[in-house]
Amino acid sequence: MKWLNTKEGGIFLILIALSAVLAVRSPVFLTMENMIDMLKTNVVLAMMAIGMTLVIVIGGIDVSVGAMTALVSVLIGKWMVAFGYDLSVVLLMSVAGGAVLGAINGWLISKIRVHAIVVTLGTLSIYSGIAMYVTGGIWINNLPQAFIDFGRQNLFGIPMSGGTLAIPIQVLFLVLVAAATGYMLKHLRIGRMIYAVGGNPLSAERAGIRQDRVQLFVYTYMGFLSGLAAFVHTSIYRQVDPSAFTGFELQVIAAVVLGGANILGGSGSVTGTLLGVALLAVISNGLTLTHVPSFWHKVIIGLFIVTAVSFDIIQRKRRERRLAKIDVLQ
Amino acid sequence: MTFALFLAACGSNNSAGGGQDNPAETAGSANTSSSGGDSAAGDKLTIAVVPKLVGIPYFNASEAGAVKAGEELGVNVIYTGPTQADAAQQVKVIEDLISKQVDAIAVAPNDAAALTPVLKKAKDAGILVMDWDTHADRSVVELSVNQIDNQMFGEHIIDRLVEHMGDSGEYAIVTGGLSASNLNTWIDFGQSYAKEKYPNLKLVTERIPSDEKQQVAYQKTLEILKAYPDLKGIAAYSTVAPLGAAQAVQEKGLQNTVAVVGTALPTDSGPFLEDGSLDVAVLWDPAKLGYLTVYLAKELLEGRAVTDGMDVPNVGKITVASDGITVVMGPPSDFTKDNYKDFDF
Repeated sequence: MKWLNTKEGGIFLILIALSAVLAVRSPVFLTMENMIDMLKTNVVLAMMAIGMTLVIVIGGIDVSVGAMTALVSVLIGKWMVAFGYDLSVVLLMSVAGGAVLGAINGWLISKIRVHAIVVTLGTLSIYSGIAMYVTGGIWINNLPQAFIDFGRQNLFGIPMSGGTLAIPIQVLFLVLVAAATGYMLKHLRIGRMIYAVGGNPLSAERAGIRQDRVQLFVYTYMGFLSGLAAFVHTSIYRQVDPSAFTGFELQVIAAVVLGGANILGGSGSVTGTLLGVALLAVISNGLTLTHVPSFWHKVIIGLFIVTAVSFDIIQRKRRERRLAKIDVLQ
Repeated sequence: MTFALFLAACGSNNSAGGGQDNPAETAGSANTSSSGGDSAAGDKLTIAVVPKLVGIPYFNASEAGAVKAGEELGVNVIYTGPTQADAAQQVKVIEDLISKQVDAIAVAPNDAAALTPVLKKAKDAGILVMDWDTHADRSVVELSVNQIDNQMFGEHIIDRLVEHMGDSGEYAIVTGGLSASNLNTWIDFGQSYAKEKYPNLKLVTERIPSDEKQQVAYQKTLEILKAYPDLKGIAAYSTVAPLGAAQAVQEKGLQNTVAVVGTALPTDSGPFLEDGSLDVAVLWDPAKLGYLTVYLAKELLEGRAVTDGMDVPNVGKITVASDGITVVMGPPSDFTKDNYKDFDF
């Protein structure tokens, strides 16, 4: 089992160990029902974290993701209330709208060369400000019934003791996004370019990779996924709260970092990030199920993040020290 | 209490009917309405009511109440405020009102401290200064009009919960945030009341925070429904938490097993009140509050005292605290399946 020695393997083992403890302490934890609930309530986080993985791999950061998602959900919410629901139109509008917002980030970062955190802090404020202005802070409800029905669909039912268990349609979006992004990173030219730029920008440039184009692509893709996340989120909650994503960027970044991506760039993977999301989800779910008082939840989640990341860095340093020794001997 | 309205205002929603026509327009324009005829500036009293911001359903509702009071009582009512919940803009609005020489200014401050100098200036100019909805600096106001009494409100929620889940069994509390002081006040009053009056109620765990987000309240409620399978009731605080809690109950088909009671706005609550996943939403009626504010301003301007237990038309009996300044409108309003359509905030 070579895979278990990788970074992802390590996170996987932690996840399994934690799940085993929780399964013993709470009889409901391992039920299919609980798994599906966890999946459904975390698809949006997972989709955005996959986009953020790319951003972090190229050594960037995007703190405007929550604001992009909020703005796109306001956009499609307003649209549907005014013009009704049509799956292809609304879906296209979500991803195109998100991609435009992401491209603005990407353009400012790659062409004007402002640091990513400065740009996205600015656009975080602008995007969420527009969402607030357009709605006046008011929720959008009365979404078309056809859209609500779409969000309630299930992919297929699994017969279980005591009724069938259905997989919500939102999960399909996550599966598609994860598969496509994973394939792109591993097998497409752009994927390799992303790792090259993140690993060592100078060598990448010498190899003829245009860093600015890669950056523009990655931030646009992040926007694209934020837009798709807005669509999925709205289909679950059937109302649009313009402030639903305040502070959400921190959770997204936490999931990616917990999933083993190096915050300085160069490494990270879709699998790792999905495991990071799963770990966050399981901790939060497990704490409630095992009756831990809510005042402790945030502290424990924070401890997990700090421990996991420190452990990862200590391991990496050890490896590097070994590597240096070999160099000297040669 | 300062936060109470802000939550209500932020979580507020478009009305079921005509509210969807671009709120940006209303939010974007400095919306001023007056009643009672502008020409009568001579001997008619002019009362200015300043909300935190104009153009959102909550304050539109209170505007309707204030304007109605103006028409019925024969005073000019100017209802004007900033387009965003911003203290600096609110200061400008009040400066304008001072130069217009209105007789009274009642304000719902965005930031109490930031308004103190301009309110002092208004007082020095001989204008009656009051606050409504949210407290201003105590030293500058002659009357403070409150929507509810925190203790009564906290106890009322527990009473409603018991009404729907019975007076024994397990219940949980979902709140907006662990540090929201108004929510904590309501919860604390409710808890000490529940312990005394309903000793067979059992709170299963500490209050559960939902970060003022529907999705978090939904997720947490799904979890507690599984963690505590004997749960019979959920009390949800903040205008957002009840919706997330009700959605979880709705999706699990537990409408008849688990009672949900919370502090939500009637229009947001509609879809959940309809099928019983939310049993009752408890809040207050902002239109009444607007009406009461204008009514009391007129009483003071005409030299009559505001007394405890006085009966205000369209509002009911009000209470006045022993300090002679703090007025409480009365018991909270219950929004249920049968009446939520009558409200548009």
